[in-house]
Amino acid sequence: MAAVSEAGPQIHLEHIEKTYPNGTVALRDVTLEIPKQDFVFLVGPSGAGKSTLVRLLIREEKATSGTIRVEGQDLSQLKRRHLPYLRRKIGMVFQDFKLLPNLTVFQNVAFALRVTEGALRHLKPKVEEVISIVGLEGKETKFPDQLSGGEQQRVAIARALVHDPRIFLADEPTGNLDPATSWEIIQLLLQINARGTTVMMATHNREIVDVMRRRVVAIEGGQIVRDEDAGGYHAPALESH
Amino acid sequence: MHRLWNRIDFAFSSAWQNFWRNAAVSVASVLIVWVVLLALGSLLLVLHSLDQIVALEKTKASAISVYLADTTPLSSAMDFKLHLENDPRVTDVTYVSKDQAMARFRQLPALDPSVIDTLGTNPLPASLDVTVRDIRDLAAIDQEVRTSPLVDKSPATNYEPNVIDKIILLARVAGIAGLVLIIGLTGLSVFIIMLTIRTAIYLRRKEIEVMKLVGATDWFVRWPFIVEGLIVGVVGAAVAVLIVGFGYRPAVVNLQSVLIFIPLAFDPAYLRVVLAAMLVFGLLLGSVGSYLGVRRFLKQ
Repeated sequence: MAAVSEAGPQIHLEHIEKTYPNGTVALRDVTLEIPKQDFVFLVGPSGAGKSTLVRLLIREEKATSGTIRVEGQDLSQLKRRHLPYLRRKIGMVFQDFKLLPNLTVFQNVAFALRVTEGALRHLKPKVEEVISIVGLEGKETKFPDQLSGGEQQRVAIARALVHDPRIFLADEPTGNLDPATSWEIIQLLLQINARGTTVMMATHNREIVDVMRRRVVAIEGGQIVRDEDAGGYHAPALESH
Repeated sequence: MHRLWNRIDFAFSSAWQNFWRNAAVSVASVLIVWVVLLALGSLLLVLHSLDQIVALEKTKASAISVYLADTTPLSSAMDFKLHLENDPRVTDVTYVSKDQAMARFRQLPALDPSVIDTLGTNPLPASLDVTVRDIRDLAAIDQEVRTSPLVDKSPATNYEPNVIDKIILLARVAGIAGLVLIIGLTGLSVFIIMLTIRTAIYLRRKEIEVMKLVGATDWFVRWPFIVEGLIVGVVGAAVAVLIVGFGYRPAVVNLQSVLIFIPLAFDPAYLRVVLAAMLVFGLLLGSVGSYLGVRRFLKQ
């Protein structure tokens, strides 16, 4: 496991409560530290609070109480106009890829740079670089509907990498993929992690979690029920079931 | 520099796409902007014409022309002129002969000289143009000269006491009615532009989601829609500006030929101000409409 940096954890949640306006309590008293370059699986049943946790980290939602720090920055103090700069530090992929169907692979990736005002001049080499990291050279002019699910997720990953994010969040990235393709995506996430990026992956995929033996944070009913290094999908006591 | 260019390029190309992607709604909003600006431009020009008339009537207000009967000999006319000049209320009296009256008449704009030539004889009377010290004395002098046998009877003078008041009233009524109409149309057009922008935002909701996700700033997301509103405003304004710009002179000329004795003039300097105002107002409609369209959406 990666060492904790001297500057403290990269992601730090303290006593986080999240209650939605309709009264649903999604998280209660969640405290979690994630050091730089860590690789964490976030596991738990649907509705346990995994997605809420991810949404809090990119400040799509605000915590009801408690403190979240990302790279030392208190997200509850973050002004709305500074929010885009937080998002650029965090690469994010989803189960449904969120690619734009009318843009090619190249354009989908370039889009992320273009809309964050990256100079057009520097755009092409960077886009080519991340497309080659995810192994999609030669597919630049294809449209999403001409690609397999795994390839589409690679495009989404490439898009999430163009800003050289320090944190990479993946919310059920293999949810729509077959096992073989899922493993390819995991390999890619490991590679990204090896380049120095912290990776947090929310998943239901028991097989992957059990084989990888990485840090596992399990959430149930909005609470962290387990946090162990080199863990499995279920707690050791339950693994015999 | 590159960043700025990228921002402008992105805003304009997206806005242009938006405009054509929901062409029907865009055209509707252009049309309403066009109607508002046409109403605005026409109203400003009509009010200006009325102002011109009032201004001219005011300079004429301290003078009346006393028309002399054709039978009046010149010597009698001169005696009458002297009599009037000795009146303490009068500052100046000018004799205008029949020929001079005709010469003036020929100078009226939009009057075809050949038509006058076919008359053969000169129907215009000679006159004494009397200027008074105080406008309030005009009525009394008018009454006095009418009793003189030297004076023509149909009409005796050109004294019309209420004409200025009537024109000012007309201008006020036209101004208020036009203003109410324009305010109503302005509200309607801002609303329709807002709907246009909402439609565009709806059509782009996936892109906007991705833009926010990858860290585009609010203003970067907003600009294409603001620009789309500006395009609507500019296109609507451009059509209205062309119509008013090219239509004003023919309208004035036509009115002059119908209303020969009303002093209406083509005023290019004022026209330029009106056209500029229309363009600015069109931009304003576009930007306010699109700002309202964009505001609620981005608040999450």
